[in-house]
Amino acid sequence: MIALVIAGATIRRTRRDRTGLFFMIVLPVLIIVVIGSTVQGGDRFPIGVVDQGSGEFGAALVEDLEGSDSLDVRRFDDLEALKLAVRRSELAAGVVVPRGLDEQVRAGGSVAVGFLTQPSNTAGLAAREAVESIVADHSALLTAASFAADEAGGTVTDHLDQAQAATAGVAPLTVDTTVSGESRFLPLGFTYSAATVLVLFVFINAVAGGGVIVENRRLGLYERMLAAPVTPRAIVAGETFTYVLIALLQSLLVVAVGGLLFEVDWGDPLAAMALVLIWSAVGASAGLLAGTVLRTAEQAGAIGPIVGIALGMLGGCMWPLEIVPPVMQTIGHLVPHGWAVDSWIELLSRDGTIGDIAGRLVVLGGFAAVLGSLATFRLRRQLTA
Amino acid sequence: MRAVLLIAAKDLRQRFRDRSAIIVGFAAPLLISFLMSAAFGGAEDLHATIAFVDEDGGELGSALEEVLSIPELEEVLTVETRDRADAAARVDDGDLDAALVVPAGFTTAVIAGEGAELEVLAGVDAPLSAAITRAVAEGFLTQVRANRVAVATAIDAGAPVTDIAALAERAAATAPATALEDQPLGGRELDLISYYAPGMAIFFLLYAIGFTAKSYFTEQREGTLDRMAAAPLRPSAILAGKALSVLVYGTTSLTTVAVVTSLAFGAEWGPAGAVAAIVLAMVLAVVALTALVIAVSRTERQADGLASIVTFTLALLGGNFVFVATAPEAMRRAALLTPNGWALRGFTDLATGSAASSAVVPVLSILVFAAITAAAAAVTGRGLVTR
Repeated sequence: MIALVIAGATIRRTRRDRTGLFFMIVLPVLIIVVIGSTVQGGDRFPIGVVDQGSGEFGAALVEDLEGSDSLDVRRFDDLEALKLAVRRSELAAGVVVPRGLDEQVRAGGSVAVGFLTQPSNTAGLAAREAVESIVADHSALLTAASFAADEAGGTVTDHLDQAQAATAGVAPLTVDTTVSGESRFLPLGFTYSAATVLVLFVFINAVAGGGVIVENRRLGLYERMLAAPVTPRAIVAGETFTYVLIALLQSLLVVAVGGLLFEVDWGDPLAAMALVLIWSAVGASAGLLAGTVLRTAEQAGAIGPIVGIALGMLGGCMWPLEIVPPVMQTIGHLVPHGWAVDSWIELLSRDGTIGDIAGRLVVLGGFAAVLGSLATFRLRRQLTA
Repeated sequence: MRAVLLIAAKDLRQRFRDRSAIIVGFAAPLLISFLMSAAFGGAEDLHATIAFVDEDGGELGSALEEVLSIPELEEVLTVETRDRADAAARVDDGDLDAALVVPAGFTTAVIAGEGAELEVLAGVDAPLSAAITRAVAEGFLTQVRANRVAVATAIDAGAPVTDIAALAERAAATAPATALEDQPLGGRELDLISYYAPGMAIFFLLYAIGFTAKSYFTEQREGTLDRMAAAPLRPSAILAGKALSVLVYGTTSLTTVAVVTSLAFGAEWGPAGAVAAIVLAMVLAVVALTALVIAVSRTERQADGLASIVTFTLALLGGNFVFVATAPEAMRRAALLTPNGWALRGFTDLATGSAASSAVVPVLSILVFAAITAAAAAVTGRGLVTR
């Protein structure tokens, strides 16, 4: 009972802390929006096109590019502006349709269409293949007219209609793509940002929330409580309960916002609930521990985000662990975040059930148990010292 | 002037004695830059390993296999020959990125002038590799189609049809009317560390708003400000001293991170003069933001809270956490409403080889932000020291 009263008091204090509420409510939602909309896995590569005065054929090529399913085309008037946008990575690539393309093609010549990208920009490489295919397709008509002129006499312009008719008469040759396998990444978009924000913020806010315990210790609140008929055990229980409850509220908020506003599908409900619960316990234990280790509430406020961001980076909240070197993958699993993110990948990308993440839940439970015991041990000692 | 310097020196001594200021200003940005360079060291290249499955056994199947082995694709694609079941299983497991299948009867169908289809089996985690494989296949089909169109057009135009095979061969040998050609982009390629090193340095610099505002209210509470006001000092000297301490702290922090990340992690910051101008402008913006936070807050707690909110909102919108260049248009615009967004834009341009003069617009934009913020602080916080 006393434990509940203690918990109630701490929760009231948290609710009154408007900065805390910003970190618990506004910031996570803002991050879900910003990161979710940045990592939309669009299958259209953004490219820029500058038409330097190419004429009719060049304009048709630009239209063909704009009509492609795999390209998102922005027109530029100036080559330098296009290059700058590619260098800034705002575009995967740039296409330069040169001046005089029409005249040269009509004269039966061959014209180079320029392609600009950063050498190791992976999207640029993929965009190159897509653009090349469209340029080749566009070129087929002109090449055919030019070939006919060579073989049967006349000019390129004379045979354009015939080439057009021949193009329409050719049977379709297509590529059929089937996607298979189970993903080792989180789904992109808001699902990605909501799941990583969940892992990241429950932890950061719990550690930052450790400041409340630090403050209580500094103010001698616990000594005063102990002067009343309150046992150390009740205080420890009350604080533990509070931290778990706050971490759970934080989790539920992210889950609800993700589900309701951003249509995130959190996967198998039982497994998701178990994961949220255990992760809240991990966060709460870390927060309690921070409360017993740190000296000032400011330290908790400053160190919470730094430690939380660093562990999140190691554990795959900022980028997928799948893409980092093996040694960094191992390190990522020395911190609880790596196990939590892996579990979410299993649930959200591979339709996993509780059986599939049972092993990882045990590991996370282990983290919670170790951090929690350490924290309660220290807190009891600080209370009874 | 001497008083300003003394006050600044006192504040700096206090700042550097506080371990969290050292952690936030120096250790944290370096630690996080290190983590990033460890995570992304050399992992930025795309290389796809795909299977080639030839169930056709005809001429076109072999032609496609030759296309896959041209030197231009060598750096991007490694091609293994496998049967369909094996290839499909490996794609499914993620051992292979994709497979390109030429189904049985493909060549026959194409020669007969019928429709035909190539198949791409794509691994779920390798969309780029699949896109490249698909585009190579489409490019090949485009070439096949182009030859057919060329032959048909020539015949329609009245070319002699005595030897169609020879005609087709000549069509295949005709140079295309237009072809794609790589052109130099110029400048340098942006790597992640060159973006996130300044990104993290600026994010942690924004924390200075919080400490400084808090230390101001602590001094107010403890009466230090009143005692200073009692001395023959103009209030402006006190404020100038505090501003100068932030300026020195911020410049030292950013400069240290710039030097260490350039030397240790290969981050590219750009020409020293231009970098210094952006750094200085950014630190001035932080000074102005600090003044505004102090001016609108009434208590230490309010100041601390407001500073955190300003820090995280600016960092998130400005692109310190996400690579804002690949974000939607609206977010790129929003980033340019923040001083840190402009600073990152400036650093990105310098890092990718733009001339030092490219820093002018970012620096001016940051200074405009700083001026507006400082003016707002001056209006809301009149009589600050004597309050």
